[in-house]
Amino acid sequence: MREQGVWALAWRRFRRDRLGFASLIVVLVYVAIVLAAAAGWLGRDWNNEAGVSFAPPTFLGPEAVESPQLAKAAEGAQPAADYGIPDPLAPDLAEIAKSLSGASPGEARSPTLPFGGDKWGRDVLKKMLKGTETSLLVGLGAAALATFLGTLFGALAGFRGGWVDDFFNWLYSVFTSIPYLLLVLAIAAVVNQKGTFTVILILGLTGWTGIFRLIRAEYLKHRVREYVLAADAIGASSMRRMFVHILPNVSHVVLVQLSICVVLFIKSEVILTFLGFGVGVDTVSWGSMLAEAGSELLLGKWWQLTAATIAMAILVTAFSLFTDAMRDALDPRLK
Amino acid sequence: MRLAARLLALVALMAAQAALAQPESKILRVTFQAAETGFDPARVHDYYSGMIIEAIYDTLLTYDYLARPAKLVPNAAAALPEVSADGRTYTFRIRKGISFADDPAFKGRKRELTAQDFAYSIRRFYDPKNRSPYAFLFTGKIIGLDELAARAKAGAKFDYDAPVAGLQTPDPYTLVVRLKQPDVNFDYVLAFPLTAGVAREVIEAYGEESPSHPVGSGPFLLKRYVRSSKIVLARNPSYRGKTWDFDPGDNARFKQIAERMHGKRLPAIDGVEVSIMEETQSRWLAFQRAETDIEYQLWEVAPTYMTDDGRLKPEFVRRGIQLDRTVDPEVIYLFFNMQDKVGDAPNPVGGFGRERIALRRAIAMSYNVDDQIRIIRKGQAVRAQYPIPPGVTGNDPRYTSVIPYDPRAANALLDRYGYKKGPDGYRRQPNGEALVIRYTSTPTERDRQFDELTKRSLDSIGIHMEIQKERFPEYLKAQKQCRVMMGHQAWIADYPDGDNFMQLLYGANIHESNNACYDSPEFNKRYERSRQLHPGPERDRLYHEMTRLMETETAWLLTDSRVRNSLQQPWVVGFTKHPVLHAEWLYLDLEPKPAY
Repeated sequence: MREQGVWALAWRRFRRDRLGFASLIVVLVYVAIVLAAAAGWLGRDWNNEAGVSFAPPTFLGPEAVESPQLAKAAEGAQPAADYGIPDPLAPDLAEIAKSLSGASPGEARSPTLPFGGDKWGRDVLKKMLKGTETSLLVGLGAAALATFLGTLFGALAGFRGGWVDDFFNWLYSVFTSIPYLLLVLAIAAVVNQKGTFTVILILGLTGWTGIFRLIRAEYLKHRVREYVLAADAIGASSMRRMFVHILPNVSHVVLVQLSICVVLFIKSEVILTFLGFGVGVDTVSWGSMLAEAGSELLLGKWWQLTAATIAMAILVTAFSLFTDAMRDALDPRLK
Repeated sequence: MRLAARLLALVALMAAQAALAQPESKILRVTFQAAETGFDPARVHDYYSGMIIEAIYDTLLTYDYLARPAKLVPNAAAALPEVSADGRTYTFRIRKGISFADDPAFKGRKRELTAQDFAYSIRRFYDPKNRSPYAFLFTGKIIGLDELAARAKAGAKFDYDAPVAGLQTPDPYTLVVRLKQPDVNFDYVLAFPLTAGVAREVIEAYGEESPSHPVGSGPFLLKRYVRSSKIVLARNPSYRGKTWDFDPGDNARFKQIAERMHGKRLPAIDGVEVSIMEETQSRWLAFQRAETDIEYQLWEVAPTYMTDDGRLKPEFVRRGIQLDRTVDPEVIYLFFNMQDKVGDAPNPVGGFGRERIALRRAIAMSYNVDDQIRIIRKGQAVRAQYPIPPGVTGNDPRYTSVIPYDPRAANALLDRYGYKKGPDGYRRQPNGEALVIRYTSTPTERDRQFDELTKRSLDSIGIHMEIQKERFPEYLKAQKQCRVMMGHQAWIADYPDGDNFMQLLYGANIHESNNACYDSPEFNKRYERSRQLHPGPERDRLYHEMTRLMETETAWLLTDSRVRNSLQQPWVVGFTKHPVLHAEWLYLDLEPKPAY
């Protein structure tokens, strides 16, 4: 039998874990949705007012009553008098009125939508698909940033030791002495700018601490192993030893941490946006959907909450199970 | 056997006695949606503290409970003030025999409320030590007091005993106020709860603790106080009392109220228990469980208890719950910064050039006020067309705006004035420069809905909008410094006169209340003339012209005034939300609650 690499072995172990494999497929489906949404095949027109306000899901049928009536405007309003004040735009507006005199094309609004509509009548299903793109993008982007920072800092601290180690430990203590959400909110308040990129930055810059601690420990352990000492003996630079020799041997830790962070940051984005520090109004994410759902629920409009919750619950569960399975598969001690 | 029967009889007797022992005391239970800050009139400024202050202290004047628009009536004064012909001298006669509630600061003596107390209270607004947020009510108005305040600011102690020409008490029951300029609205200031009479001994005895030791001559006194949680008021035994005697006019609901309340001795209730509950849902649940008696801070959940046409849902009607709907004396509007520059940068929406007016007009025409009312307000607001809201003197319900909702015409207007679309789909300025409108709002869930609606509106006419977030105090500060390019704002009446709203557009009020920084010579000229006039057709004509000027130059787009839905338990009698008074506790009654 041919000698198998560590990755092929891990993959065989992973495939034996049926739950883990199923969750991988779910995660891949989500990634496919994100790619389709980013390419504009899915949920592109989520911002259109397709249905009436709070259009119920199609399987419930249209609402018996019309949407809330307007409070009556002043009755018997008099034709607009000019009170002796001329309007500088009056000639323009008169000409425009003449040229537009055809009946204005009435927008047809559907009374129901596949999974209901929000308060502006936007399709909740499309919002959910488009929101998946934002939320997963934030999760992956922030996790990548946090993992990069955590690995870099951890490697430097663990490998170099001395004052470098002291410095990063001090930074670590500062970041972890503040409760996580409070730290995130404080940084969000200081940045005070909305947008997907800002959210990624905030979460990434605050989320590296856990990875740092683990990677530092790994590097402390590995830098005195024979293979590293051997590399040193043949004249490998410390950079080479750190990132070419040791890093592949601790990469399973990095990978597992990365996926744990994805789950954490998807949830954090939801919380941030719910509290009003997240993505802007022209972007939809699960967090913005849940933030809207709070007041909708009081009115008995449950579909937006349901859609966002289901989408998030499935992804978070699948990702967690996938992470679990991956750790089992990659950890050489668990055979 | 006999013993058992006797025991039974005894138990029955005891139960009967317990039931007879005391009629249930009438305690009104209400909530505040925000915490109070304290009860020293010269040191607070929030609405909720104002409610408690109104219940504890006496102002010189107050408002008739049922007259609409709100009408001034004497309170601690024996009659409305005598105003000199030149409108600069106000003479108040104080009612004799009003006394403060007992307090250790009075050393066991009954203390009468006199003109001296009101003079002292007014002086306190000028004392820099008090840092009163409402000092503007008096600043620059009364002869001699600003000079006194200036001396105190320079380091001296504020002199409460120095004689001042503008504020005199020739005898204990007469207060004469002399103003620097004629002011036809000065009497409204003395109906404002924070201008109530406080006793100097009390303020000096409690010093820095004065906000939690209110001692007044009003209908209630503070019985128990847990900061930011519970405020319990009890009937003030020294209160002189009033008799319920108001003219209901033609209003059917007021007639019902008058029928049940007429001739009652006030206050009819024994006390008020206020709980601070910040969450709408908690307040709504508490009311549904009959733990509170009146609730009018429930905008967000209105559709759960109301039908679309503004009536109470049948399940609440069956429980005997009453609904009282009034429109708040407020206007909410979208404003544009009218100056040529914002900070150092040129302001694309400012200025009086035709193409700038066209841009503002197009934005106003693209904004769907009906959507704001239907979706953001859940139908609980009425369209505002005139800057003076219903219930305020000078309101004209028949005035119609010249700015319709018409995004197609708005697009055509922008095309005409050379705002051409660039390759990104957004319009450029006529001179070819990029056009970005910066819109400011606060980071709340409610404002996010306004952001969405405004962004959708501007997108519909191809204008690029950026959203900037500021916390509420900073947002107000930025408005005062004319640094906000575009935003939403609300103004609720301090006093029920149109002047309180028209001054929002007066050029001299830039950096104070004129947040559009609108400085139109034509408008200013008319406003200055209107200030000399008493309410009437002549002033209304000026107000119409001013409103039309504001519209044609498009400094504001008026949007709406919110409807206040007051829910009451079946046993509440005589309640209706007054447009200006903070609390109506003095004028209502409670019937025995049904036993459950």
